[in-house]
Amino acid sequence: MSSIAQDRFARLAALRPARKSALSLDDQPRGILPEFPEGAGRLAELLGAAPQKNQFGEHLALRRWFSDPIGGESNLPAPEDKLDAAALRLLAPGAPDFVSDPREWLFLDTETTGLAGGTGTYPFLVGIAWWDAGGLEVEQFFMREQSEEHSLLVALAERMAERRVLVTFNGKSFDWPLLETRYRMTRTIKPPAPRAHLDFLHPARNLWRLRIGSVRLAELERQILGWNRGTDVMSELIPSIYFDYLRGGPAEPLVPIFHHNQMDLRGLAALATRILSLLGDPETHGQDALELFGVSRICERRGEAARARSLYQRSIASELPPETDRAARRSLARLAKREGDHELARGLWDGMLGDSREGLEAYEQLAIYYEHRAREPHRAAALARQALADLRKANRLGTIAPSAFRQQSTRFERRLARLERKAGRTLLDAPESKTDATP
Amino acid sequence: MAASTQGLAVRERSTLDTVRDALGTLVARYRADEVLTSVKHIPAREAQFRPMPGWVRPELAAAYRAKGIEQLYSHQAAAAELARAGKDFVVVTPTASGKTLCYNLPVLNAILEDTDTRALYLFPTKALAQDQLAELHGLATRLDDSFGVFTYDGDTPSDARKAIRERGHIILTNPDMLHTGILPHHTKWTRVFENLRYIVVDELHTYRGVFGSHLANVLRRVARIARFYGSHPQFICCSATIANPGELAAQLIEREVEVVEENGAPAAEKLFVFYNPPMVNRNLGIRRSYLNETTRVAKELLARKLQTIVFANSRLHTEVLLTYLQQANPPKPGAAEPIRGYRGGYLPGERREIERGLREGRVRGVVATNALELGIDIGSLDACVMAGYAGSIASTWQRAGRAGRRSGTSCAVLVASSAPLDQFIVQHPDYFFGRSPEHAYVQPDNLEILVNHLKCAAFELPIAPDDKFGVVDAQELCERLAEAGFLHRSGGNWHWVQEAYPADTVSLRSVTSDNFVIIHASAEDDGNTTGEKKGEPEVIGEVDFSSALTTVHPKAIYLHQGQQYHVDRLDFDQRKAYVRRVSVDYYTDAIRYTQVRVLEIAEEERIAGPAARAHGDVLVRSQVIGFKKIKFFTNENVGDGKLELPENEMHTTAFWITLERPLLESLPFALSDRQSGIFGLLYALESMATLLLMCDRRDLGTAVGERPPSPGVETEWHEYTTATDDPAKMKEFFEPNLYLYDAYPGGIGFSEPLYRVHDLLLRRTRELIAACPCENGCPSCVGPAGMKSERTKEAALAILDHLCA
Repeated sequence: MSSIAQDRFARLAALRPARKSALSLDDQPRGILPEFPEGAGRLAELLGAAPQKNQFGEHLALRRWFSDPIGGESNLPAPEDKLDAAALRLLAPGAPDFVSDPREWLFLDTETTGLAGGTGTYPFLVGIAWWDAGGLEVEQFFMREQSEEHSLLVALAERMAERRVLVTFNGKSFDWPLLETRYRMTRTIKPPAPRAHLDFLHPARNLWRLRIGSVRLAELERQILGWNRGTDVMSELIPSIYFDYLRGGPAEPLVPIFHHNQMDLRGLAALATRILSLLGDPETHGQDALELFGVSRICERRGEAARARSLYQRSIASELPPETDRAARRSLARLAKREGDHELARGLWDGMLGDSREGLEAYEQLAIYYEHRAREPHRAAALARQALADLRKANRLGTIAPSAFRQQSTRFERRLARLERKAGRTLLDAPESKTDATP
Repeated sequence: MAASTQGLAVRERSTLDTVRDALGTLVARYRADEVLTSVKHIPAREAQFRPMPGWVRPELAAAYRAKGIEQLYSHQAAAAELARAGKDFVVVTPTASGKTLCYNLPVLNAILEDTDTRALYLFPTKALAQDQLAELHGLATRLDDSFGVFTYDGDTPSDARKAIRERGHIILTNPDMLHTGILPHHTKWTRVFENLRYIVVDELHTYRGVFGSHLANVLRRVARIARFYGSHPQFICCSATIANPGELAAQLIEREVEVVEENGAPAAEKLFVFYNPPMVNRNLGIRRSYLNETTRVAKELLARKLQTIVFANSRLHTEVLLTYLQQANPPKPGAAEPIRGYRGGYLPGERREIERGLREGRVRGVVATNALELGIDIGSLDACVMAGYAGSIASTWQRAGRAGRRSGTSCAVLVASSAPLDQFIVQHPDYFFGRSPEHAYVQPDNLEILVNHLKCAAFELPIAPDDKFGVVDAQELCERLAEAGFLHRSGGNWHWVQEAYPADTVSLRSVTSDNFVIIHASAEDDGNTTGEKKGEPEVIGEVDFSSALTTVHPKAIYLHQGQQYHVDRLDFDQRKAYVRRVSVDYYTDAIRYTQVRVLEIAEEERIAGPAARAHGDVLVRSQVIGFKKIKFFTNENVGDGKLELPENEMHTTAFWITLERPLLESLPFALSDRQSGIFGLLYALESMATLLLMCDRRDLGTAVGERPPSPGVETEWHEYTTATDDPAKMKEFFEPNLYLYDAYPGGIGFSEPLYRVHDLLLRRTRELIAACPCENGCPSCVGPAGMKSERTKEAALAILDHLCA
């Protein structure tokens, strides 16, 4: 490079804030395998981990056994025999029979150099776990350098070949696609093909988001399983800790990442057990109405209408917060209508009329009911007018978004106009202003 | 290609006589030869046919036959044979010459022969890809849907993306999507990359300057990834007419390319008219408003039932012209609006409807920005009126090509503004109608651009010890990037070690990603607020670092979509400008103080004068020290202000001319006239350089500075400023250097070409000034009078006489 270009480059680099490397790479001869980062040896010592060798090279591996996934008060022992098949059907309809065999389960969680995904994000620590000897066996693979990735991937593929069901938390959209990318990047190592993949993020979201807001694993452990992790590394710091280590930083800060990954796996195993028992027998295991509501949503989504109906009814009976209550009633009414139980549906809608999203849907559904089923177009028209009045009131009070107001008003105005045409004469027996004034 | 039969009744009337009649009416009150500087009759051209090659699959030949294509034009046949022979090539094609067949025929044939074949089509805009999609869908229907073709861009719904990656034989995309959406996720595109046989680069001439330099680097990345998957795609490029299509293509794809330049497509008879608005004030060089004149021209043509497209150079002008023309052509009762607008910002559905209306003849006139310049199928119109020169000859021909694509007589009218380029073009028809003098230049090894793409490349695939990336030593750059914390060497390869996704921060349309965002702080002052979005800050745009200080300095009037905004505050560190909507009758012009220091001379030569020319590396230090408020229309200076803004330093490349002492001393002018002449000359040189380089005025910077005592010797910054209002008060230059520098850090490849075309540059600049009818200099030649000496024009010409001797 000419001196000019070097000068330009120096200025270029100076423009951007960057961490200065402690290790100067200038002194190393090119094309020769560099030494491991300084902390690599110390890390193995700290963790009691050993290098593992295969045809692609080496990586660090570590194994630990935990007597029960998370211990403490929650007391969720490892399953011994078959898992609840009905519950599993709700989670993964159409999955092969062996998903109910706990010996086929392999939990997986990765720690990566970023969340952006794409081809430049590395899973530098891959943790897997399985139930064993009444407890949970955790195995972790770590790349001391990116050059150890191939050997790590081979080791992981071997483990995955032993168990056919992959179990993750948000692994369907993050960990697994990332690993698939890594296998493809090798061009030589065949990506493992798990026969079934259970991901617990969505079930957890359905069950608990309404109650605890967050569905971060650590939060679920604390609030649902009653297990407090104690000190844990902040996930956002993980990539930079690894980068620091690569650049010659100390090994100590990496140790909590290994613990973090172990806790993620243990928490996942415990949460999976909890979700299975809840789905298998919500009446016994459900802790509150919100959980029942969550199970009913999962049932409804999977087409188990009868179960969904009875659970919606139970959750409504056991006092839901107002918003959730409306959502539950709406879902129940929809199910009832679909199954021809129009009286149940009508009763639910009657009690829901209002300017909420569900309330407006109730107006519409009731209007449809009176127009087509009960054949009382006057009542249908009256409902449409009442809905419009509610909408105008909400608009005056500013409790409805202007776009929603316009959209909904148009719908009910059209309905009203159609009903009038249908009746062949005006149904507007009261002037607009009068309707408007009705409370 | 099937000739449309619709609207023919109308078109038959578009004879030469009708057009001449319209022109006659327009210039009735003026001296015709002063206003109509050129009325060029371009006779119809016969098609040169070649038979469909024997190797074309029968079903494909049948599909084309069903579209009315039995034989090929000669250039299509040449392209098909080159594609068949596995050559990389570029086809130079004017509008409506059937260029899409040049790539679709060989690509589809290859797919029909081997269904694993994949092709990637690159278009500079999403709209063009959409247009091609329609064409290819038509062929797919005729071929029993035996291949999949999809667009893949920012508008592609995420649930459709997977299917596209699996089932698409031809992927239509743009460089930006390739850069941020495809390459960083190449493992999802394994099937495409493993079988990638063709890369089609359409509208090649648009990839010049910054955009082109980026594209060259994106293609370097594509080549790496293709190699990784074991494929070696062949390139098929199409370009509008420029002087160096082969050179440009070779620089972009870094391979030898063949050039197909003869055009075998037929062309209808055309009248190409240069219309220079009449002079109002000869002294000041003021002409009648070209927008008003454009309206007059378009009205005359529309009145004669000629379906007309009007091009404007900005969105604002589109709207102004649209208003004028709609008022003059009200819809018939119950009928739809016959005059429509078309520009970026219209919704896709609306655009499709206008395009259909044009094809079917319902829409009689359309006012458009360059959004309608490229590809989009709107059928053939009768007339095209251009409000102002499009900035390049290639674009002008593309716009003119919108009228009379197939048959009948058509006309194109270029209405010149008073900008130097417009004036030069209309007064030098030979320059325009001769062999294209326009060169497209790129600088793929611009270090800033290259380094950004090297980062992206490392993200995509670790950089191996034997990896090549342009001419630079990739290993050395990687070491630097490692020191800066971006890469880490492991097992001999360089790996990406940042959380961030490098492609996200690299925009292909600017050199650095260090942009300023423009924040419209509040809607409260709008007066007529609806209350819905009150007070919510809103990002209305971005400006790149290099132009931020001159366009969004405090108290500047920033123009965005025809709306004026006042800059209340510039947060330099956070790269934010806070603006407020206003309505004022002036705009602002920043006063910039610029100094240039020569760092390294690449080439240098004595020339006539006596003088010298050179190009090389320079350091440009500039500071915005104030601004002027200039009144619209009259261009009066109605106030000014001082600013204290940080100094900006930029390392770039420059071309310069040194005027030696004997030359200056031989000039029979007073010192102030001479100094003024130097600045006037530089102004004119800049105008002409942008013409030769196909670039924008803002792509080049100018400065005058004292020649350093001895090249290569470290010198002090020289005391001068190009912003001084009165050159007469300036210190006298002993031997001034006139710099034209690349206004981008690292240079964008203009300096060396300028050095090469030096003679042409000087000659054309002299023609520009000499042919300008103004008396003492005007914005069309040596720059606005006002501050300059009365003999500026004379002095500049005298200097040029020495230089051209």
